[in-house]
Amino acid sequence: MSSPLQAFKYVPKDTFMDRLDPRSKFALSLSLLAASLASPQLTMQLVYLALATLLIAAAKRLAQWTPTLKAISPLVAAIFAANLIFTPGMPLTYATLMALRFFTVTTSFTLFFLTTTPDDLSLALEEMGVPREYTLMFTMSLRFVPTLADDVETVTAALLSRGFQLDRGNIIQRAKNYVYLLVPLIIYEVRRSLMIAEALEARAFGATKKPTRLYTLKMKKPDYLVLIASALIAVSPLAPAILNLSII
Amino acid sequence: MESEAAIQVENLRYVYPGGYEALKGVNLAVKKGEFIAIMGENGSGKTTLIKHFNGVLKPTEGRVLIDGVDTRETPVSKLSRKVGIVFQNPDHQLFSETVWDEVAFPMKNFGFPEQVVKERTERFLKLMGLYSYRDKSPYLLSLGERKRLTIAAVLAYDPEIIVLDEPTAGQDYIQKEHISGTMNLLRTMQKTVVIVTHDMEFVVQYVDRIVLMSRGRIVASASPHEVLLNPSLLASAGLMPPQLARLALQLSRAGIYTPRRLPETGEIVDAVLKRWHR
Amino acid sequence: MEGVNYTYPSSEEPVLRNIDLRIGRGEYILLAGPSGCGKSTLARILNGLIPNFYGGKLEGKILVDGKDPRKTPTYEMALTVGFVFQNPENQLFFSDVEREIAFGLENLGLPPHEIRRKVEDAIRKYGLENLRHRSPAELSGGQKQKVAIASVMVMEPKLLVLDEPTANLDPISAVKVLGLVKREVLERRISAIVIEHRVELVLPYVDRVVVMDRGRIVGDGEPYSVIQENSGLIGRPAIFDVYARLRAKGFPLHRWPRTPEQLAEDLKRILQG
Ligand SMILES: Nc1ncnc2c1ncn2[C@@H]1O[C@H](COP(=O)(O)OP(=O)(O)OP(=O)(O)O)[C@@H](O)[C@H]1O
Ligand SMILES: Nc1ncnc2c1ncn2[C@@H]1O[C@H](COP(=O)(O)OP(=O)(O)OP(=O)(O)O)[C@@H](O)[C@H]1O
Ligand SMILES: [Mg+2]
Ligand SMILES: [Mg+2]
Repeated sequence: MSSPLQAFKYVPKDTFMDRLDPRSKFALSLSLLAASLASPQLTMQLVYLALATLLIAAAKRLAQWTPTLKAISPLVAAIFAANLIFTPGMPLTYATLMALRFFTVTTSFTLFFLTTTPDDLSLALEEMGVPREYTLMFTMSLRFVPTLADDVETVTAALLSRGFQLDRGNIIQRAKNYVYLLVPLIIYEVRRSLMIAEALEARAFGATKKPTRLYTLKMKKPDYLVLIASALIAVSPLAPAILNLSII
Repeated sequence: MESEAAIQVENLRYVYPGGYEALKGVNLAVKKGEFIAIMGENGSGKTTLIKHFNGVLKPTEGRVLIDGVDTRETPVSKLSRKVGIVFQNPDHQLFSETVWDEVAFPMKNFGFPEQVVKERTERFLKLMGLYSYRDKSPYLLSLGERKRLTIAAVLAYDPEIIVLDEPTAGQDYIQKEHISGTMNLLRTMQKTVVIVTHDMEFVVQYVDRIVLMSRGRIVASASPHEVLLNPSLLASAGLMPPQLARLALQLSRAGIYTPRRLPETGEIVDAVLKRWHR
Repeated sequence: MEGVNYTYPSSEEPVLRNIDLRIGRGEYILLAGPSGCGKSTLARILNGLIPNFYGGKLEGKILVDGKDPRKTPTYEMALTVGFVFQNPENQLFFSDVEREIAFGLENLGLPPHEIRRKVEDAIRKYGLENLRHRSPAELSGGQKQKVAIASVMVMEPKLLVLDEPTANLDPISAVKVLGLVKREVLERRISAIVIEHRVELVLPYVDRVVVMDRGRIVGDGEPYSVIQENSGLIGRPAIFDVYARLRAKGFPLHRWPRTPEQLAEDLKRILQG
């Protein structure tokens, strides 16, 4: 898998973050994200970013997170530049705010995906009442992304091995070249999805409207603490205003 | 010495982008005109290794020379002219609308003159027994036929070195006989051939040398009869000796028949009968 | 199966013609034949994928454990017939072996404690303790196929159908997979049908061989004679040659060889008294 996608690949580790219920992790990431979007203050953004980074560090996933950071850096630079140019008034503060915000949002998002297996995620969704057809679709799309990536690689290798040059010609020609790649890929993936559908049938998928589960999610003490913390984070953008008020 | 090697692999290490080290220091030299088999358990790195032969994968460390040319310094499209690879799954390598175009496709990419393309396409389709399907879509052929089509597409452009990844996996007996014929043809054409396979029974008849891989390393490289009569070595690479070798091994322990070279049915039968008549 | 004919919706010609097949409890059968002869099609009929999933025209009498797959939803047939496919990649859906094995039972709506018990049994039986929380996608080919079989067997089917389960496996992994099936056949008295092109690989395990050609069953019975009669279609193990030539010379071999080792035993016994 290429490095930017690394962010979404769950590597099993046994840390406090991994042991949390996916729902409380989701709440935590979501509150960080919401707080970052809501808060117009530079200092607060720095606090959120630091918090998210700290949590990733606590989950021992810093090494996995850095490639993502590198991959999004050009994007952040672009956001910064665009805001610097197009914002009237105090462009520097605003541009920095937007750039930081982008970092915080991606980091809190990453925090969730790095510490939650796709299985757990769909379990959480099912718990929230999403039917299994959809949660399974979700699990499987994550499960088959690397497989698809491998297929792309193999087909490309085969095409190059037949003496074909993908980067030959002008832009239009190049776009056409990719059709050669797409045809076998599409045919193969359609075949694959048929095989998957067969295999699902053979495992009694759809036998009852109410499938049971081996694992059921249970909130534990730490989860409740995290939920409370998340609530606090969510309302924290209001903190400066409240503090100011009390000083006055 | 150097010019004699068609493929020269030196201290090759390869790490996939995800961080998995699939090759951990591989050394291998394949002579011109040599016919070798690379064998080994699932995941031992066979496919990863052969993908280096035409440069679709580049070494993380070490180097690969084709006819003395470093694969890192030559584009894949040029190396492929010399090294034809037939990958394992035919469905990953069918690009054209018709069977005819499929065989013509590489030759067109390599700039063969039109007349030559026509002539060779026809010849190789006939050779592989696919000529009657020439106007069909490749995807309408059976698995065995699709496999043969991908072999035809590579043979037709006449690369000096031919690499086949698992040509017999999932093939029925009759298809195997077909592919067997192709192997004999390659032998008589004195091509350099590398075949990756799990199929002992199939491979022993053709190859000069068997290279065994295990966990990203080459663990043995020797003539078929040396490898085949060494069951513990084979087992370390996830393989079993072919049936006749297994039989010969048991019989030689009992002093009934001791194979000098690859065991043959006739020899075993004669040895047993001789002993019986005594 | 009696007098079964079948035509895929997209074609005119029937792919199965007049199939008669009776499978007893505890039988382990090799189904062989040239590519395209209809083996996979036959297998799909047994678990109702044909016609429930594929459609097409299916005629004749079919009963699997007293159920007609045509009148039984596929998921219900899944309780009777377990199906393992060639490519393990496409039959494993989760990122945890335990969850993978539980999936079928979950779909049936079994209570969690019962699922847990059965999953534990399966994990012990198939020696998956160390892989319990690994992602099936990251296992080796042989391990994947083992998980696939475990996750089908956990539903306790009475008939196990394996469509080229070992085509991409190295021989030692392949033999292990076939051995696992043999154990299920012996221990639970289930029946199993394995489709495979390499006759010599399966030979040590099966007690019956069915050969198909162009949609018909052309051979059915004890492995040795069926393979000898159909060797033009499916090939024959090298040891059968040795055996046949020795017998032709009057050498007193009395049972056909399943493995080279067994043949060597018999030869030694005769030659060394
Ligand atoms: N694109 C990839 N990204 C990451 N790892 C890979 C990739 N392709 C292969 N690998 C890993 O590299 C190792 C060697 O794989 P390779 O395909 O070379 O094995 P092989 O010997 O050809 O096996 P098989 O007999 O199953 O075909 C395996 O562990 C495999 O999981
Ligand atoms: N979904 C389908 N629609 C139409 N025709 C099909 C379909 N699947 C298979 N066929 C055709 O039915 C015939 C029998 O196919 P089947 O897959 O049963 O063969 P097989 O014996 O399993 O072959 P193999 O050994 O290659 O797997 C073939 O001619 C094939 O082209
Ligand atoms: Mg391979
Ligand atoms: Mg089939």
